[in-house]
This record gives sequence, structure tokens and C-alpha cells, in this order.
Amino acid sequence: MSKQRTTQPITTGTSVIGLVYDGGVMIAADTLLSYGSMAKSFNTPRLYNIEDRILLGASGEYSDLQEIVAKVKALALQETTNSMESIYVDRKLPAKSLWNYLRAVMYQKRSKMNPYWNDVVVAGWDDQADKPFLGTVDKLGTTLQENLVATGFGGYLAMPLLREKWRNDLSEGEARALLEDAMKVLFYRDCRASARIQLAKCTSDGCIVSEPYELDHSNGWNAPSMIRAAGDLDGDGGW
Amino acid sequence: MFDSAMPPKSKPLRSGGFNKNTSSIFDPLAGQIHNSEGYGATRGKIDHGVTENPYERRFSPYDFNGGTCVAIAGSDYAVIAADTRLSSGYEILSRDMSKLHTLTDKCILGSAGCKTDVDQLRSVLDIKMKMYHHNHRKTMTTPAVAQMLGNTLYYKRFFPYYAFNVFGGIDEEGKGAVYSYDAIGSFERTPVTATGSGQAYIIPLLDNVIAHRNRLDEKRDLLKEEVVEIVKDAFISCGERDIYTGDKVEIAVITKDGIEKTYFDLKAD
Repeated sequence: MSKQRTTQPITTGTSVIGLVYDGGVMIAADTLLSYGSMAKSFNTPRLYNIEDRILLGASGEYSDLQEIVAKVKALALQETTNSMESIYVDRKLPAKSLWNYLRAVMYQKRSKMNPYWNDVVVAGWDDQADKPFLGTVDKLGTTLQENLVATGFGGYLAMPLLREKWRNDLSEGEARALLEDAMKVLFYRDCRASARIQLAKCTSDGCIVSEPYELDHSNGWNAPSMIRAAGDLDGDGGW
Repeated sequence: MFDSAMPPKSKPLRSGGFNKNTSSIFDPLAGQIHNSEGYGATRGKIDHGVTENPYERRFSPYDFNGGTCVAIAGSDYAVIAADTRLSSGYEILSRDMSKLHTLTDKCILGSAGCKTDVDQLRSVLDIKMKMYHHNHRKTMTTPAVAQMLGNTLYYKRFFPYYAFNVFGGIDEEGKGAVYSYDAIGSFERTPVTATGSGQAYIIPLLDNVIAHRNRLDEKRDLLKEEVVEIVKDAFISCGERDIYTGDKVEIAVITKDGIEKTYFDLKAD
């Protein structure tokens, strides 16, 4: 009997970006589902709220993300209901534990040459350290815990902007503005991105995932570099 | 079902030399290399390197996350150092990712290569060391850990951990011990070693300055403070030329009194 293996992602989502701010962590992703170069669906959320404690988002193959979320939701529910202490203590699955668990899952799948073709972002509030937690796991099981994360194209287009503007005492409003700005840049320059985005935040009080909304890109085509290519201007516009 | 056991069917895309008809003198294509698409197909066809020689795109379980590690053994100390940059392709994933892993209070493992395999290797070693401790009621000695690392790597001989390791610590006689490894577990105790993307830039320098090769002056035992300065210089040079090395160097000095870690900034470009 022949066995099937992952060869390439078919239905995909693009970048997920995130940052830690003063008092929480915030992540963002657009809601476009791509089928190669076809825009298959404009309103597919890719950010999930797990048991009001953990935020999960991923770029890459959408079906693999659905599978991961189903498994994670079951695991988180198990943790709050079946665990040894759950009858005494209100225990919820910590974000960092989930991040480690996902790492093990992704590593095992890649070792069988059949990965979940995703770059997963895990965010939450670390109760033990009393700080926000933000980490990623990629399809090989490479883990990163950082204050700023971006998957896919976001690593090239959004990360430099985030690195430039980020400070560790950003307020929630500043954090949101920075993420929206980065998402706008991604919409302009990533062919597989859209202006319809979703934001999610997690603080010590819990998690919220917003409904998808449209970024204001009405001024987009009026930017100076769009009107007249900077390369024409004899300055350093490249090309 | 048994197709994989048979030798691959070789249908050459290029069939050279044989003539289909006997009247070869009348066949203008006789003797020429022509492809199986028939008469006239060769004329005007440009091979872009893909059609005639098909290749398969496939998933690679490995990624190269870069970085350089160095270890130097002294008379009563060992210095082990590594940069803190994590890259993937031309992207920097992190400027602050440690490549050093403390195994006991007397030895440290430094690993470059594929980060996910390195993490897995560290996990496996930690578990094995804990079991040893439960079974033998003592911590593993540095030479014992060195052997175990070699065995652990060879265990995955046919799907290797893509980890390039240097292992440094204090042996049972109180002397510095450094071991160098390849990805499948062959190892050797050496006075000095370097591994990773910047290996070729650092080893020649250390060969001369630490191991005292090709020098005419008297060899003398270096102090650990001197060795640390040499390591810093080595990483500066390495960071200059190797794109995967940079950001920071984490330097650990192991003596019988314990482990001391310092950090030294490098260029972030």
C-alpha cells in the first residue's frame, strides 16, 4: 500500500506577525486564503483563541493548521478537565508548554518526512514569569522565543520595520498601530496578502481575537514611490 | 507493490547511435542524438536544463541555521565559545540564541548546524545523563559524556542529527579536555577545535596561536584570560567574512571552580 507524504503546500495563508508590548502580546494576520496564485477566500481567520489563554496562528498550509488547532484544542480541554489537579486547581495549559508540545509534534512529523507545512506562532501570558510569552515553531521544529516574530514574507518585509520601531515599553495602542502599519506594507508588497486583517491580543486577564476588518488603504496608490518610480528620480531609488 | 524492488526502468530520453531503418544513408538524422518525440523534434528545440534532465523538488528535513563554535583546552581550564546568531537562508531569525548547552558543572556542549536537530540532541543527552545519575548515583565525568555523545550521534547514522559539535570541560585529572566531532559521531580529544560555518576562518588562526604550529618562538602555557582575548579576536575576524557569524559571542570558561560566562558584542551586519 502506498503512503502519501507532504510535497508542497496547496491552500495557504501568508505571514503572521507579532510583538510583545507593555502588559501583553499582540499578533496579526490577514484573512486571505490563497490557492497558488488564486485568491480562494477573503474571510478565513487564521488566529485562534485556545481556552482564553493561548493565541495560535500560522502561515503555510491551511489544512495542516486546521489539524493542528483541532489537536491543540483537544489537548487544552483535556488539561483543564482530565488532569490530576483539575478538581482542586483551576489549571490551564500554559502557552510555553503548548509551544514545547508543538515543537515535539512538528519534529516528529518532519522526521517521518511528512511535515505539517506551517510556521506556527504561539502567544500567551506566562503566569510563572509574570510576563507575556511569544514564540514560533516552524515545519522542521525550529523554535524561537522572541519579542518580535514574523513568519513567511513578514520576515523580510515587516521584521525590519518592527525591529526599527519596537521598544519594550510600547503601549497597547502603539503596538496595534505598529502591527497595522506592518500589515499595510505586507498588503502592498506581498502578492498573496490582503488588506483584510485580524488582530489578537493576550494579557494576564485573558485573550481576545478580533473580527476581521479592512485596513484603510485608500491612500495606498498615492504614495510618492507609486506615482513616480523612485528609480526615475536620479536619486538612489534602486534599479 | 514490488516496483520499488525492481531496478528503475531506464528509458533514456536521449537515444544515441542506433538507427531504426537500415537505409541509414538516406536518413538525415541517422547517427545523431535525437529525442524520442520523433522526427524533426530535435530541430529548434532549446533545452533549458529541465525537460531533458528532470529533477524532483522535495522537502528537506534539514535547514542550516549557521554559526560557529570554538573550544580550547588549557592546563587547568577549558574555554568554549560560540556566536549567538540564528539564521535561515539570508534571513536572521535571532541575534540572541545560545549555542552552548551546560551538561554538567564541568562540561559544556557547543553545537552549530540545524537548530531543531541540536535541540533534539540536547534533549536526548539531558535525559541520558539524568538516567545515568539515577542509576549510578553520580554525575557523568567529562570523558564519559564525550563517549556518550559520540554514541548518540552514531545511533542516528542513517538519518543524522545535523549538528556540528564541540565539547569542552575538565577531566578527572583537573586538566582541560576538548573533543571535536563530526555529524555522525566520530570524535577525538584535541587541544583546540572549531566547527560550524566559520570553521575555516578560525582553525588556522588557532593552530598557530594556541597549538603553536609553525612558530619558532618557545611554546608556553597560556593563561585563560589570554585565551579569551584570542577567542574574541578570532570571532571578530570570522564575523567579518562569514555571513552566518556575528551579533554576539558567548564565552564560557570552565575551571574546577565552575563555569563563568561572558558576552562580547560583534558587528550586527
